[in-house]
Amino acid sequence: MNNTASPATQQTAIVGSRSTDWQGEVMQKRIVRRYAAERRFKYLGLSAIVISSLFLAFLLFVMIGNGIKGFSTTQVAVPIDFASATGGASPEQISGEGAERALNSLDIAGVVNTAIEIEYGAEAGDIFTENSWTDVRDALLSNPDMIAGNTTVWLTAKSEIDRAAKDETDEKFEALYAKLKDAGKAQSGFNWGFLTGADGTDPARVGIWGALKGSIITMLVTLAMAFPVGVLAAVYLEEYAPSNRVTDFIEVSINNLAAVPSIIFGLLGLVVFLSWLELPRSSALVGGLVLALMTMPVIVIAGRNSIKSVPPSIREAAMGVGASPVQVVFHHVLPLALPGIMTGTIIGMARALGETAPLLMIGMRAFLTSPPQGLTDPSTVLPVQIYLWSDEVNRGFVEKTSAAIIVLLIFLLTMNAFAIYLRNRFETRW
Amino acid sequence: MTTETTTITNKMTTRNVDVFYGEKQAINGVSIDIDMENVTAFIGPSGCGKSTFLRTMNRMNDTIPSCRVTGEITLDGEDIYAPSMDVVQLRARVGMVFQKPNPFPKSIYDNIAYGPRIHGLASGKEELDRIVEKSLQRAGLWAEVKDRLNESGTALSGGQQQRLCIARAIAVDPEVILMDEPCSALDPIATAKIEELIHELRGKYAIVIVTHNMQQAARVSQRTAFFHLGTMVEYGDTSEMFTNPQEERTRDYITGRYG
Ligand SMILES: Nc1ncnc2c1ncn2[C@@H]1O[C@H](COP(=O)(O)OP(=O)(O)OP(=O)(O)O)[C@@H](O)[C@H]1O
Ligand SMILES: [Mg+2]
Repeated sequence: MNNTASPATQQTAIVGSRSTDWQGEVMQKRIVRRYAAERRFKYLGLSAIVISSLFLAFLLFVMIGNGIKGFSTTQVAVPIDFASATGGASPEQISGEGAERALNSLDIAGVVNTAIEIEYGAEAGDIFTENSWTDVRDALLSNPDMIAGNTTVWLTAKSEIDRAAKDETDEKFEALYAKLKDAGKAQSGFNWGFLTGADGTDPARVGIWGALKGSIITMLVTLAMAFPVGVLAAVYLEEYAPSNRVTDFIEVSINNLAAVPSIIFGLLGLVVFLSWLELPRSSALVGGLVLALMTMPVIVIAGRNSIKSVPPSIREAAMGVGASPVQVVFHHVLPLALPGIMTGTIIGMARALGETAPLLMIGMRAFLTSPPQGLTDPSTVLPVQIYLWSDEVNRGFVEKTSAAIIVLLIFLLTMNAFAIYLRNRFETRW
Repeated sequence: MTTETTTITNKMTTRNVDVFYGEKQAINGVSIDIDMENVTAFIGPSGCGKSTFLRTMNRMNDTIPSCRVTGEITLDGEDIYAPSMDVVQLRARVGMVFQKPNPFPKSIYDNIAYGPRIHGLASGKEELDRIVEKSLQRAGLWAEVKDRLNESGTALSGGQQQRLCIARAIAVDPEVILMDEPCSALDPIATAKIEELIHELRGKYAIVIVTHNMQQAARVSQRTAFFHLGTMVEYGDTSEMFTNPQEERTRDYITGRYG
């Protein structure tokens, strides 16, 4: 290109005689460049998608690969002659009201340990833990007739045997497992205990239900606090608040609040909820409140944006037929803004679900062997449970950690799917 | 100016109304009377303040923070800017049809039923049904939509939407209807339907219509006000104004010399 002449001629072409050369070489070059830019952008976008899909696929692959083993368990057979060992206890004795007490007095632990001793001798300690007998107690409670007979019960094996079944441990246990397997005395199956139990010391016997239930209760508290307060704050700021210094200050504060590191909310909760208000420590109630503080700004910001984007013509239409300001907001603006508000809520809740730091601050890291029964019970949540398990020295916790991550991801997906379903319902209602 | 309307009771009157947007004056000393017998048309070039003035008449301009109104506007002799005036009820009594059709994103039925519902105008479902049917019939839309009342109001064509908005306005049984260029987005057939509707509504409601279309002003109105640069240049009988305008600016505008 001849740099000096070209701009001058173009200028005269445009301003002067209006004879732009649409077919000329310069124009053609421009078209080629434009197509190249379009193509470049398309490929850039495509590669971005591919990269993020790869990350996601890798994550899922690794997680599922590791975690899926956490959902299975290995059991070993023990024949027990209940009738003679208990001296002829009857099914009636251990059913109904005082069943548990009756079982304790029968010394089921002793019965089981003796049976194990007889069957496996010196190897018993390598196959079972001292808690294995609880399986028998649970089985008897649900099926008292067993007490009168001679049955083979399947007891949860030690975590090392379980890992040997999934072939990843030392030779000793692998040999032991192979022997049991050949004798038909070992079987693997779905670990229902994992879905119904709580934390424990033996990785073969821990469950996720305690943490999952804690997460569910905590999330419900968070939602119940953050959603109404966040939406009302957004409506007030957007529709009623006069625009002055104070509202500007509040707006800036809320925007900053959304970016505050979560651990600081934990400290806040520690001081406000535990020290001042003296709410129960480690409880889902306090956890939910702390996470609500964190989620609220996100909902306020999303809410304000979606309220702002409701066309003014709808407000005018409503006012024009004599709707009061409250009616305009609740009959017209909010229903139209709701999908956007819900998107913000999903983002906020998803973030809250994965939060550990602030919950550790308020003591939700307790070692709890039973699920919380209510708002004020000590409880833990999935991410904290994952954190605690990942810290354990026992190798058996590795797959439990991955399994817990899978449960967390499934919970997250379910929660989001439900929210998206709700959002679409609201969107298509008109 | 008002001598020939003395026998007719004025529904609304405005006296020396000034409107400001911040420092800028958009309307300068306008005095007009609106009655039930005559349709009043506002004409004038774009940006002269027709919409601004119309919106002061049901205090729609309250929503614009910078907007300030002085002078007096009355409805049945009551100052509508007096502190005792209930704005919400005022807007129900003085209905408005907007330049751009703005149906609610709800069903056709709910579009019409919304106003009567919030004002408690119907004592039951049957009466509400009747109000909806009557309003749609008056707006000339009933035949087209009676089988699809549950469909969305926004799925109608532009002209149908505008008639829906008119039906929505008359469903609350207002005393005055303000129309801001109701036909600007419509084809000639839909326009004709709305003009016909205005003829039918005349006498039942006091009607003000803003229009850019001289022929339309001549067809539908009995009184015309010509605005220019925020002042009302001329105000009188429509036939009089179109055949024999008193002011040069009016004549220029009507004959299409500017606008
Ligand atoms: N919200 C507002 N803030 C500031 N100025 C405004 C506002 N609305 C209108 N104006 C100004 O007031 C004047 C009158 O506007 P208005 O909308 O009343 O004109 P109009 O006669 O209805 O025009 P058109 O025929 O194009 O609809 C214009 O100069 C406009 O710029
Ligand atoms: Mg206008």
